[in-house]
Amino acid sequence: MLDTQISPRDGASRLGQTERDDTLLARNSRMASGATIIMRVRRQENGSIRYDTFDVPYRKWMRVLDALNWIAENAATDLAYRWICGSKMCGTCAVRMNGREILACWEAVEPEMTIEPLRNLPVIRDLVVDRAPFENKVARLEPWIERSNAYVGFPEPLSHKQMKDASKALDCIGCMCCYSACPVIGLGDLTDFAGPAPLVQLGQTALDPRNSSAKVARSLALTGIFNCVSCYKCEEVCPAAIPIVSRVIEPLKAKAAQLVPEMAGHARALRRIVAARGRVDPGALVLSVQGLRALTRLPRIVRLFLRGKINPLRTLFGTKTAAAEPARRLLGREASQ
Amino acid sequence: MKFAYYPGCSARSTCAELNVATHRVAERLGLDLLQLESATCTGARELRAIDPAGFYTLNVRILALAEREKLPLMTICNTCTLNLLDAHAAFVSDEKLAQAVNEKLAEENLKYSGRTRISHFLWVLYENIGEARLRELVTNPLTGLTVAAFYGCHITRPPLRYGFVDSRNNVALERLAEILGCRPIDYNGRTECCGFHTAAHDEKVAIKLTGQHILSAKTGGAHAMVTPCPLCHTVLDGFQHEIAKDLGQELDVPILHLPQLVGLALGLSPEELNLDRHVIAAATVAAHAVRKDGAMNAAE
Repeated sequence: MLDTQISPRDGASRLGQTERDDTLLARNSRMASGATIIMRVRRQENGSIRYDTFDVPYRKWMRVLDALNWIAENAATDLAYRWICGSKMCGTCAVRMNGREILACWEAVEPEMTIEPLRNLPVIRDLVVDRAPFENKVARLEPWIERSNAYVGFPEPLSHKQMKDASKALDCIGCMCCYSACPVIGLGDLTDFAGPAPLVQLGQTALDPRNSSAKVARSLALTGIFNCVSCYKCEEVCPAAIPIVSRVIEPLKAKAAQLVPEMAGHARALRRIVAARGRVDPGALVLSVQGLRALTRLPRIVRLFLRGKINPLRTLFGTKTAAAEPARRLLGREASQ
Repeated sequence: MKFAYYPGCSARSTCAELNVATHRVAERLGLDLLQLESATCTGARELRAIDPAGFYTLNVRILALAEREKLPLMTICNTCTLNLLDAHAAFVSDEKLAQAVNEKLAEENLKYSGRTRISHFLWVLYENIGEARLRELVTNPLTGLTVAAFYGCHITRPPLRYGFVDSRNNVALERLAEILGCRPIDYNGRTECCGFHTAAHDEKVAIKLTGQHILSAKTGGAHAMVTPCPLCHTVLDGFQHEIAKDLGQELDVPILHLPQLVGLALGLSPEELNLDRHVIAAATVAAHAVRKDGAMNAAE
């Protein structure tokens, strides 16, 4: 079989990288030893915020962490930032460079950079954030294994296949890049969504087949996982390259749908509609999920109706489409899931 | 140039104008579209999470329908595109899955062998029409029209799969806008999320997420926003009154489907492109463009 989708395509989906010189090679070649890097760093102490600009001399293969170290040694000895290992293991040096979450130890410098602390966590000082909100969330999710069966002794019969999703989650270095990039977490208390980083921590054990279903259900019920908007921003910034949406959040959603079905009402309604009609009728979906609450959106309903965007008759009675029969056959009734 | 064409559910319901515009523009571009009438929904984000087997079956069936016609598949929805790409990738890498799906498809004499090339309309413009030909086809350059490109998520993420570049580098829409004669703006939110996938059960997420994006586009001087995804369009256009109310600011930013912007530059009229079917009035967007004789349109 041919995998015709994988790059190189003819170029359309790759437009941009070369135009913006954004390969590591291109970045490094833009600077020569001794060149000056202009580095703006967000400073914060006791609620006062300012941006300090530093001229940092470029050294070959310089990383953001090297530049921060240079500043701390030569220009601002009171600069607060965290790092331990310097080799993409400890996950403590995450910051934002020009608006994007990075590990300072693993990112090449750019000629002009603005360095800021991670978002969505309180700043203690300068680039150091308070990890407590994340840690409290993780603790609340009880990310450990409770066996429903007795321990069978070593080695346990556990296959790679059974652990395929949990093992991805186990690559997490807890750097919080995804937590900072998540737009739903950025909305604060608007939803009960736990966020990508806590879900990855939970996935390490909730996706482990040895964990008891009752325990996993208890944890999942606290996650608000169906408020994930599937934007993949978490994956885009994950320095450990964990497929957070497809290999952690979606398998956890599947577990939630199975163990805590009331959490997945929206997803189950969509499946029911597709199974019956072949396609989604947006009116039917909203009615099914929101019930009479949908009528509180009356002004919008009228607007959409006037523009011919919704069709109440089609919503209520359905229309026969060529897609309905195959969908019914392939998805069947909900009970057959 | 012939394509099997998969419009998806939105373009056949809340965004029916997108389907109309796509057909009209395809004609101008010389694309022959064979609409797959029996193709089902790709399952949005929900089916893939709660019923992966059903998700793969529905998507591979769509790919098999295109393969039976020996045609590449053109999509016009970001999420459908990613669903189909994901299903294809799973199919070609998992023999057992491929066999199980094909057994189900055999009931209607369908079989997929992994040969369907999936391409979003935006990629078709670059890969099949080409920039040079597109420039030749632009009969009504939209000079003076300032647009803010809103990519949505699933045409540019997940990263490092299917050749997607880091989304902050994606310039495909801006470059296209320039070809059409528009001036694209840089603004916060061009590759941000519209929140559609939680909108049916909790629309406040979508409303909160998109307010700043639209405001940023407006503040940056955009006459309109353009998106390659009908799901983003549904939020940006259909929810814009609620978004403006939540922000406490007037927005009134027309949101164009990508084929509509292309169509205007190819000389199609706003009526032909169904620009009058939007919640936020969009029919006068073209008036911002300078007419060929150099005068500004009266509506400016």
